[in-house]
Amino acid sequence: MTKPLLDVEDLRVRFHLRTGTVEAVRGVSFQLGRERLGIVGESGSGKSQTGRAILGLTPPPGEVTAKRLAFDGIDLLTASKRTLRHLRGGRISMVMQDPKYSLNPVMTIGEQIIEAYQAHAKAGRNEARDKALAMLEAVKMRDPGRVFSLYPHEVSGGMGQRAMIAMMLVTEPDLLIADEPTSALDVTVSMEVLRILDELVSERGMGLIFISHDLKLVSSFCDRVLVMYAGRVVEELEAKNLREAQHPYTQGLMRCLPTLANDVRPLPTLNRDPSWAL
Amino acid sequence: MAGAPLAEQPTGLRAWLLSAEPHSRWQARLGRFYLGWRSFTKNPLAVVGLGVVILLILMAIFADVIAPYSPVAGGDLRTQRLLPPSETFWLGTDDQARDIFSRLVHGSRITLFVVVLVALIATPIGLLVGTVSGYLGGWVDTVLMRVTDIFLAFPRLVLALAFVAALGPGIENAIIAIAITSWPPYARIARAETLMIRNSDFIAAVRLQGASTPRIILGHVVPLCVSSLIVRVTLDMAGIILTAAGLGFLGLGAQPPMPEWGAMVATGRNYLIDQWWVAAMPGLAIFVVSLGFNLLGDGLRDVLDPKAAK
Amino acid sequence: MIDIQNLSVVYGTGRLRVDAVKNVSFSVAQGAAYGLVGESGSGKSTVLRAICGLAPISGGRVLIDGKEVTTPRSKDFYRTVQMVFQDPYASLHPRHTVDRTLSEPLAIHGEKDAEARILQALKEVGLGSSFRFRYPHQLSGGQRQRIAIARALILRPKVLLLDEPTSALDASVQAEILNLLDDLRRRLGLTYILVSHDLAVVAHLCERLLVMRHGEAIEEMTAEALRSGKASNDYTQSLIQASQGFTRDSHPPAQALAG
Repeated sequence: MTKPLLDVEDLRVRFHLRTGTVEAVRGVSFQLGRERLGIVGESGSGKSQTGRAILGLTPPPGEVTAKRLAFDGIDLLTASKRTLRHLRGGRISMVMQDPKYSLNPVMTIGEQIIEAYQAHAKAGRNEARDKALAMLEAVKMRDPGRVFSLYPHEVSGGMGQRAMIAMMLVTEPDLLIADEPTSALDVTVSMEVLRILDELVSERGMGLIFISHDLKLVSSFCDRVLVMYAGRVVEELEAKNLREAQHPYTQGLMRCLPTLANDVRPLPTLNRDPSWAL
Repeated sequence: MAGAPLAEQPTGLRAWLLSAEPHSRWQARLGRFYLGWRSFTKNPLAVVGLGVVILLILMAIFADVIAPYSPVAGGDLRTQRLLPPSETFWLGTDDQARDIFSRLVHGSRITLFVVVLVALIATPIGLLVGTVSGYLGGWVDTVLMRVTDIFLAFPRLVLALAFVAALGPGIENAIIAIAITSWPPYARIARAETLMIRNSDFIAAVRLQGASTPRIILGHVVPLCVSSLIVRVTLDMAGIILTAAGLGFLGLGAQPPMPEWGAMVATGRNYLIDQWWVAAMPGLAIFVVSLGFNLLGDGLRDVLDPKAAK
Repeated sequence: MIDIQNLSVVYGTGRLRVDAVKNVSFSVAQGAAYGLVGESGSGKSTVLRAICGLAPISGGRVLIDGKEVTTPRSKDFYRTVQMVFQDPYASLHPRHTVDRTLSEPLAIHGEKDAEARILQALKEVGLGSSFRFRYPHQLSGGQRQRIAIARALILRPKVLLLDEPTSALDASVQAEILNLLDDLRRRLGLTYILVSHDLAVVAHLCERLLVMRHGEAIEEMTAEALRSGKASNDYTQSLIQASQGFTRDSHPPAQALAG
């Protein structure tokens, strides 16, 4: 691996609440090249907060600290607001879980993609329009011209999520952070969306951070997986070596899922060892 | 939540109140109340508002003890009329040689009476109309909401004037008039809340247990609407006090010699230039109490209705 | 125990008419568990809602214990059939303690010794008496779902309708809830209808299942057949395929990680 696209060292996210300080992310470190990295964990493991912290989207009263948080050599913690704004949505994009809440309901999908493009590239209206249509085609919309002029409530969940991906990729980012991009979708639709994402990543050589609770899905989609528990990375492994996972938490997560192949009864449950959280 | 809370563990009474495993209904309820109280006291202005309201209540209860003179019977009309504030008459005297401070103190009873009665009449009507309308929907909703619209279309003071004109002036009629014009917004709020609650799973769950419609509305819908309504009523109190004072000022509310603040401002009007305190003192009282209710309402909103808070 | 004959559910009329369920039939024997599988919009949840009266029965019949259900449902119906909802964060009243939530059905049906019944119900779902006076916000997702199950069980019903009971939960918590449901069925002799989009969950809990799509029944099969991949329908096959995780078409199959 050459110079990493994203370099994270000792990332911490703290929330100062009335009831005390809660550390949601406690010292996460990793490096990302132009590859697909999965971050897996259960709710409250800090996986989403990790993704948000990279983009500077930690909600108040959160506080982000890190020894190093650099994107392509730019320190994200000390960068000016202008630089950050330029990076965000330009070179780093994020796809959220539910397209219903991420798309502007009173703008057509086409307008939103054009706006996203023009915010980061000096382009005329016509050029932006062509670009948007091309992008809608790239995410396998059957009739890009029609979808272009539709409002978000007029499309299905799968189409909405594809439109969202089109919008996020129109600026040709170097890094895409996808936070549970398929959790709100049906399985067959989510496979389609993943396939599109996969193609775009390998064609454009983007780095991808794929955040999910679904260990099986992540391991089949990504190259490398970070397993998070209570704000820490408890295990990092190659996706294809998932079966050789060492950490009891990862093993437990694998085993407790019912499968079609084996009928295990009762299902093994996860006995959380307090030492994992240390 | 991930990560361990870093704060030290509370002890004693606080620990009992904040216990994650309450042992009785009461402990659970008190614990909830305590949490609300804690977030309420974070807002100093809200505490000031609460202080003003408590002061008003205490003043009304102990009016006889606090007031140095009679609020109705005046002093010597030759020597004690329109005296400026002094050591004997703290806030001065009015044209009938009555001590303004004593009148203000006794007037707090009338103000509180108006506020409490309007709240007691208007809130339940609004709550009931709103929740029934929202929960049942259909033609019940249409009818109830049109009735609400009709009441909403009347300007409050004008309807109150018409009402008082028809029934004759007096504090009771003023209260009824104010109450009748103030419930429609509460019905609207309660209906909007109910529409959100009605389709939630926990209402479906209680329906599947065979609960009757009144039971669902009273036991499950109303408790969720009450908090935003309390906030709204508290914020409206200022307006109610002002309306009552306005009616008093026009001579349609409390009748002389009752020490109603609005009526006191009205008498003071004649001496505004030379004896400013006659009108200014009751005016100040109206202002302070209205502000107090507003501040309290704002604080309550932060605690009870986190959605609406800024 | 449960007999669904040519059930149809229609919402709206004219241009707004939606046929949510079209002519679906199946029956479930006493003590059995039956799964309804499908993607969103397949009508699987609507079938459950039609059985318990939250959705209208536009055509066909629903028989419980040989008797056709009445609209509105009788109090007796609710003592026989209870439901567990998908999202435990939405199915518990936010201002009611566990105690209030559990005592409500007892009060509605005029049951006595509420105290003992509540403690018993808590024990059945694996929670101690220390949970009795907590508010929902003091509970985790799994604990909330246990309370929802306890609420459904407290009237001693014979049939439990489960609407995606684990899809809002973490994997490890899902395993606990599935084990609990499995165990309760055996101990109390309950009959289940389980709605889920997750084939593995349905195969784990049910003996037989019905695959639905666009409101229609596609294929009825046994869990055994599902496990051994003997689905005859293409759609069912694609569901099975998708549930195995992501596969890269261009990659040789050996490299792709199977289930």
